[in-house]
Amino acid sequence: MSTNTAQPVVKDQIREFILENLALPKGIESFTDEESLMETGVIDSLGIFRLVAFLEENMGVRVSDDEINPDNLKNLNTIEALVLQKRKK
Amino acid sequence: MAYILQQLLQRSAARYPEKLAVWARGTSITYSELESRSNQLAHLLQQHGVRKGDRVGIFFPKCVESVIVMLGIVKAGGVYVPLDPQAPPDRIGYIIGNCGIRVLITRSEKRRLLDEATLTSLAFSIVIDETKEHSNGSRVLPWSMLQQYPGTHAPQVTLTETDLAYILYTSGSTGRPKGVMISHQNALTFIEWCAAEFQVTSEDRLSNHAPLHFDLSVFDVYNTLEAGASLYMVTEDLALFPTRLASFMETQGITIWYSVPSALTLLLLHANLQAEKLQRLRIILFAGEVFAMKYLQQLATLLPHVELYNLYGPTETNVCTYYKVDRALLPGMEKLPIGIACENFEVFAVNDQNEIVTETGGTGELYVRGPGVTNGYWADTEKTRKMVVPNVFQKNFEEKMYRTGDLVQLAADGNYFFMGRRDSMIKSRGYRIELGEIESALLSHPAVKEAVAIAVPDDTVGSRIKAVVASHSGENLVSAELQKYCGTKIPMYMIPETIEFRIELPKTSTGKVDRVLLTQESTPQPALQ
Repeated sequence: MSTNTAQPVVKDQIREFILENLALPKGIESFTDEESLMETGVIDSLGIFRLVAFLEENMGVRVSDDEINPDNLKNLNTIEALVLQKRKK
Repeated sequence: MAYILQQLLQRSAARYPEKLAVWARGTSITYSELESRSNQLAHLLQQHGVRKGDRVGIFFPKCVESVIVMLGIVKAGGVYVPLDPQAPPDRIGYIIGNCGIRVLITRSEKRRLLDEATLTSLAFSIVIDETKEHSNGSRVLPWSMLQQYPGTHAPQVTLTETDLAYILYTSGSTGRPKGVMISHQNALTFIEWCAAEFQVTSEDRLSNHAPLHFDLSVFDVYNTLEAGASLYMVTEDLALFPTRLASFMETQGITIWYSVPSALTLLLLHANLQAEKLQRLRIILFAGEVFAMKYLQQLATLLPHVELYNLYGPTETNVCTYYKVDRALLPGMEKLPIGIACENFEVFAVNDQNEIVTETGGTGELYVRGPGVTNGYWADTEKTRKMVVPNVFQKNFEEKMYRTGDLVQLAADGNYFFMGRRDSMIKSRGYRIELGEIESALLSHPAVKEAVAIAVPDDTVGSRIKAVVASHSGENLVSAELQKYCGTKIPMYMIPETIEFRIELPKTSTGKVDRVLLTQESTPQPALQ
């Protein structure tokens, strides 16, 4: 079995983006991989689109309006899963 | 005619007992359920000591219980105070103290956030997600206790239309939020105008997009009850995702939509709205901030069958002017008027010579008079005296008028145009924000020497907030730390998105911080054509 070093990098990059651009400006210093980013207020209605723009520009994936939903963007784990799944296609 | 808000429910419950009154998060209640649950709550409150005029806080995310609670409180003769469920506990604690809330209706996870001093100040809390009764003498009552009280009638309480119904807290320039007192008459003046203008019927389905501590929700809730219509509440899980929100509008068959323009802009940009799927939608109302003309044009073209209205008014008047969008005029318009006065309101612009503006193109500060205008701010006579002033134009008797602080211009057709503010209040995503409140939060940090908050204009949200800060020498401050600190003082929507640090802030010749220069430096210049 080969080890895939790409995955932790993806998650780290997303975490760093969310932390610096969406969480810290709202006074939130940390969040876990499973925590709902909507319930904690990290992601608000505009933050969602900044996040999507980041995924498209820096992760090389295209996210459709339909894919911008709470199942995909709930927490760090689901966002990572969305990126990895889109990259496979 | 109803003279107190609960009569709206009472009448519709008698007429449409089995009709859906409120839907939220997949749960709904009928008119008869809403009537009987709110009666039960009113009895519970009264038997636990709530008396006429007592303030009762509402502190939990939107759900069907929200409407039961609002009505239950006024039926007990109380005054409800909707608290922002996402506001920092420090701010909630301040409001609870400021307006002397002794009874709080909340959820267990929200109650846990409050500090000991705040909890001690409460006589008791009702926790809507608790079902078990605690031992005797407990100051936490479970929602299930409602069952012990009669639902057939409300308790006896003598109210007149001038009694207070609710208090809405908005951003205050002195660094603390202030409570706008709204009487039953204030609210009903607006509700009755809406009922007539928009012809709301029992067939209508109204959305409730705005949070309940925001005055846009007054139309949603009470015009639903007035008409015996149905209310569909937009909760965070829907509000954040435009495609979900659009499918909610479609599947629930919303007929009247009311929100801030930025919510409509996001729907336009990201939800692929289709007229054929929104055939039942007949009216879109928007208020709270300026709607960028390019997006309004798009909306008008996309939904040709929908009537569009721009509503204007500070919380102190709810809504006092309106403009019905005329599609024929729209393409040539650079700016949308705030319109003319609603029925039973009078508005006029007063110029620097203290005269009422009557000539076309004249500008002045907008004043409002009539039964829809607030009596003032809770426990703040100084602020009240400044804003709710004697009407000097009324020679025959004494009355008050409200000075909005908004500069307006009178057009040839009698419509008013919003030109800007007299002070440093701004709007972002429809939220009313006093830059002074942000500056107070920044300045309360021990390392901050000087701070200015600036509104950077933005097409989508109205304004984005930036701060320019100088710290005391030797103090090494970073944005993240200061933003986190602000998060303990002010709501998230008020925290500056960006913070620029300088050794010192530029000053004017009189030694004041040069706000104008800093604002110019922070505002993107329009590209040359």
